[in-house]
Amino acid sequence: MKFILFTLILIFPISTYSQPNCNVYQMNNDQPCYEACTLATTGGGAQGSRKSQEKFDRAIEQCPKLDYAYMEKSVPYLKRGDFITWKILIDKAVELNPTGHLGYRGWCRYQFLRDYEGAIKDLERLDSILSYDIGYSINGDYQLNIAKALCYKALGQKSKAVEIIENQLAQKDYTPMTYDYLHLGVLKMETGDTDGGIEYLKKSITFNDYLAEPYYYLGLIYKKQNLTKEFKGYMEKAKTYYLKGYKRFDPYTHPMDKVYLADIERELKSGE
Amino acid sequence: MRQGTLIFILLITLYACGQPQKNKADYPLQVGDIYFDSKIDDPNFKLCDEDRVFQYYNFGKGLLYNGEKLKLNEHFIDGLKITEQKDESGFLTIRFIVNCEGKTGRFRVQGMNNDYKEKIFNKDLTNQLLSLTKQLDGWLVGEDEGKTFDYYQYLTFKIKNGKLIEIMP
Repeated sequence: MKFILFTLILIFPISTYSQPNCNVYQMNNDQPCYEACTLATTGGGAQGSRKSQEKFDRAIEQCPKLDYAYMEKSVPYLKRGDFITWKILIDKAVELNPTGHLGYRGWCRYQFLRDYEGAIKDLERLDSILSYDIGYSINGDYQLNIAKALCYKALGQKSKAVEIIENQLAQKDYTPMTYDYLHLGVLKMETGDTDGGIEYLKKSITFNDYLAEPYYYLGLIYKKQNLTKEFKGYMEKAKTYYLKGYKRFDPYTHPMDKVYLADIERELKSGE
Repeated sequence: MRQGTLIFILLITLYACGQPQKNKADYPLQVGDIYFDSKIDDPNFKLCDEDRVFQYYNFGKGLLYNGEKLKLNEHFIDGLKITEQKDESGFLTIRFIVNCEGKTGRFRVQGMNNDYKEKIFNKDLTNQLLSLTKQLDGWLVGEDEGKTFDYYQYLTFKIKNGKLIEIMP
């Protein structure tokens, strides 16, 4: 039962992402698309099942402009590693509705494939189309400019990544997300700004004290400064948190700047 | 009359058999299902329940590997012997099943270039990655409430000029 509930929780955010308001079609006297939209949004079938895929096919056949059906049909291919089929379908959704799906496609290229160049391309294209905020990653972890910054970091452009994150944090109406300060702190550390690293990693802890990662990276900074007591203290805390399950986690992929138990234990051993 | 009825039934049956069943045959029961193929699969690799194979993410624990992703990365970094090869860039995905005993089988390979189009990677690189994947012996059993399950897993290798850059998921 717990398993089924968890699966439903995982599916739910994806299924409801940009779910269309089918009444729009009815208001425009487009009965075929209204029916197709209703079928696609309420027709049943577990994600990735034959029944579900066939349902989306019927919806697309009846209303070829229904981008939502293409997007939903693509999702199981993405999650199950058939990226060629995923891309064909999500491209169709993007073609029909760029503003609705570019952010999602860009995010997925980052999250599932570490296709940093492709993700940046999509997110920058979206930014050029919109005159407002480009939105958030589908898992709710990131504002998409922060995701873009992580892509630049992975491509070695760390200063640019810092600039993008700082710029996003400075936006008037922006509320920082759970991992923003962690990534900024790690970036500052990696670019030699030790004080900045300490400042933002501590800020990450103040903001969300359920992660081993900021303790681990603070430990690394103090190790470099030969502050053995602080180094050990933070590393021990990182280990305790990790074992409690307080760590970066994504059910599908491994998040950037995540640390593993073996990383922490190796550091602790080095300090013995 | 009776003979006529029989011929009519036969004709109807033949007509029905000749009709293409739109879409029905196009999809497996679940997207990504891997069925046993006697030409390539090990007949000794058994599943607990052929009709109920989950996906790795269904368990909500991420990658189920002893020593976590780090251990898996080390296995490939240490084991892969490849010299730089231009034009060998893209993504190579190996899908397989981890059975309820933590053993693996039914491996399938899909290569893709950086434009997400099908690509056949160099045979040596493909064979090395496949062989290393088959050697992995730290897979954890998929469990929920005391029951064990078979599950699908995939590994995607990001390759640049023949070099292994990253492993997903």
